[in-house]
Amino acid sequence: MEIEVKHLKKEFSYYKKMVGLSGSLHNLFHRETLTKEAVQDISFSVAKGEIIGLLGPNGAGKTTTLKMLSGILYPTSGQALVGGFIPWERKNAFKQRFSIVMGQKNQLWWDLPASDSFYLNKCIFNIDDQQYIRTIEELSELLEVKELMNVQVRRLSLGERMKMEILAALIHRPDILFLDEPTIGLDIVSQQKIRNFLRYYNEQKKTTIILTSHYMRDIEELCERAVIISQGQVVYDGMLSKINHLMGDKKVLTLKFTEDISIHQLTSFGKVRECKCREGILELPKEGLRKTMADILSCLPVEDFTVTEIPLEESIALIFKKEGAVL
Amino acid sequence: MKKYLRLIGVLMKLSLMSQLEYRVNFIAGVAVELGWMLVKLLYVAVVYRIGVNISVFTPNHIQIFIGIYVLMTGFYMLYYPNFAGLGQMVQSGELDMYLVKPVSLQFIVTLRQWSFPMFLTNAIVGSILIITGWQKAGLAVNVKQILGFLFLLLCSNLLTYSLFLIPYLMCFWIVSTGGIESLSSALWDFNNMPYMIYGKWIQRIGTFILPIFIITNFPGLFLMGNLHPAMFVWAIAAPVLFFILARILWKKAVRNYTSASS
Repeated sequence: MEIEVKHLKKEFSYYKKMVGLSGSLHNLFHRETLTKEAVQDISFSVAKGEIIGLLGPNGAGKTTTLKMLSGILYPTSGQALVGGFIPWERKNAFKQRFSIVMGQKNQLWWDLPASDSFYLNKCIFNIDDQQYIRTIEELSELLEVKELMNVQVRRLSLGERMKMEILAALIHRPDILFLDEPTIGLDIVSQQKIRNFLRYYNEQKKTTIILTSHYMRDIEELCERAVIISQGQVVYDGMLSKINHLMGDKKVLTLKFTEDISIHQLTSFGKVRECKCREGILELPKEGLRKTMADILSCLPVEDFTVTEIPLEESIALIFKKEGAVL
Repeated sequence: MKKYLRLIGVLMKLSLMSQLEYRVNFIAGVAVELGWMLVKLLYVAVVYRIGVNISVFTPNHIQIFIGIYVLMTGFYMLYYPNFAGLGQMVQSGELDMYLVKPVSLQFIVTLRQWSFPMFLTNAIVGSILIITGWQKAGLAVNVKQILGFLFLLLCSNLLTYSLFLIPYLMCFWIVSTGGIESLSSALWDFNNMPYMIYGKWIQRIGTFILPIFIITNFPGLFLMGNLHPAMFVWAIAAPVLFFILARILWKKAVRNYTSASS
């Protein structure tokens, strides 16, 4: 396994602050220290070349986990091996093997063209000239930023900047890549381009990738497997395609009618999600779907219909709601 | 070592290029520093006008001490923005991106940005004050004098870096260090006149416990032939000791780093 995580735990201490000036004055003399378990007990493993999605609501512990796996934070307890290294020992040989991209943090020099920051990374990572030129050529072409290499970072759009951040992170050709919300705030076209690039890069270089994102399209398009964490614990670790199964194997039927229908006409067939004039959306169990469909087609004035899976966002949201319940 | 020297070169180049992006700001920086310089030169003017002697030192000697103070201020200001920005880096979690680089974290964080406007003004004026003072005081000019003086300046730079980094490391525990910064700046200004003007106890504390006086006084005393051999050894040992101390504290501080919420 390229990444092995066992019972990882991280606690932060903080202090309470009561509202108002009196609370501030009270804090000046006495602070009640409290402990927050950002990550309670996380275990999972990732095979070489695999790309997995690390999912969870805000505050679930995703970023803290990635920071421990990249050696930024020391864990309170637990073990982790990334590419055979203990991350928080922060060995240079380990740092040569991985990279992290955080959508909300940047490493590029704001006032200079990105190529200057790339050159600094070249010197930091001791990359020889030939490999450096080849990598820049290849990645700038794939990311479609070749003509932007000499434009100051502050003049780039958010999407262009993120592409440059990814390029900067890949200059030393890491075999392990941590991506923490790399598409945050980007428009749909930029998101798609970054996804295409990551998929291609993963296929070509067999890079092991852990990806966190709040955009389900990122996860659906790039990952076959997801580790879902909630309140600092793993609540699901398995194939994305099986998540729906956990939620009771249901399908969503969207119907269009030739004339207006009422909600009462739909309730006898299944759970009604939406009903307005000539449109209706039903949630139906997979089992017996064919028969129910036949009944609907014979009883109602159906013009058109589509059958889809329950959106992944909904299934995952349901998992989040099952507080503490490990599935 | 070769890698780090090369990195210093690259970082200096990138910093200068960044600063030159904002031409007006760069020139304004030089102008403001020139203004401060005039204030410092007033000390020299006052010393000459009054014709004051401190201990065995004439106004020409005092000019050398002030020159060294101005020059050392230039060197300190060259990398000072990194110290001043450390608290913000800890608070915002910006340190994360440097922790994952295969390079000494202390090096890349404390010597990342180089501020040239302040350095240029102080270095030029400081050097002129030292050289003219040296000539007027009739001090010997030979290889031994020059090399010894430059060597002690080098030691003073290492001591400045180590001694003044230590208070900023507090930001890893207390995050906001505005008060400590002001105290540290005030301590630096203790050197704007030769340390002989202070009382015996302050001289001892400033030489052995919090050795700020070594930074600007010892290179001058060496030139004037007034540096006791034992003090010469201390001028070399103190920077090494304080560098080791800063390194130990840095490692402890970084272990305490908790990053910031994303």
